[in-house]
Amino acid sequence: MWWKILTGLLIFTVLVIVFLVPPPQKELGGISRIFFFHVPVAWVTVLALFFAMINSIQYLKRKEPVFDIRAAVASQLGFLFASLATFSGAVFARHTWGSYWNWDPRETSIFILLLIYGAYLALRSAIAEENRKANLSAVYSIIAFITVPFLVFVVPRVYHSLHPSDSVINTKAGFQMPPSILMIFLCSLSGFSLLFFWMYELEVRIIRLRKRLKKT
Amino acid sequence: MSANAGAFIVVLLIWLGIFIYIFRLDKKVRELERK
Repeated sequence: MWWKILTGLLIFTVLVIVFLVPPPQKELGGISRIFFFHVPVAWVTVLALFFAMINSIQYLKRKEPVFDIRAAVASQLGFLFASLATFSGAVFARHTWGSYWNWDPRETSIFILLLIYGAYLALRSAIAEENRKANLSAVYSIIAFITVPFLVFVVPRVYHSLHPSDSVINTKAGFQMPPSILMIFLCSLSGFSLLFFWMYELEVRIIRLRKRLKKT
Repeated sequence: MSANAGAFIVVLLIWLGIFIYIFRLDKKVRELERK
């Protein structure tokens, strides 16, 4: 319970501080504050999809329905957070480069990611039989996650992109930001990660409760 | 009111709304699990 209150306080504190300190990139102005939201949300996307893959592997090994539920919930949340990252990125793009969408490598790769996991959600809704749904979804989730590091970390760095590069970690694998900005960023990262865990845990409990109520 | 203050209020209200919603849902789920 305490960590749920901590999540709320952490994100609230970050929100207050983000608007009190000068924007992280003076040249871009106030819109660069979106960095404290956009990057953690993108990070949570990767975390969620990683969780989905791990639970899918567990399901294929042990064949317990709880792992299928966890994989599905993690994928749904990954899709949600990827959508939020795309939306916040589009708002930033509008203010910085003049249009919401530019088919930039970073934008294109996240769009492909949304299509891949959108297909996962469509696959699950198309199959009625539970075992078959769970098996196919698990296999798909594992294969789909292979594309994630490539689309999120590799493609945007291989091709020239409008997207700010090395804004978090520089080429020497060190933090790029001044300590004060880094502190706010890490608080935001922690807050959003905890928020993901809270939403994930809650949704898994709701689904298991629904299944239990259906049986009785 | 400046644009920054306006943006802060909007973002804060959104976050408060999300937090209160999740918190109350969590409470409801705990009550149902006890039954």
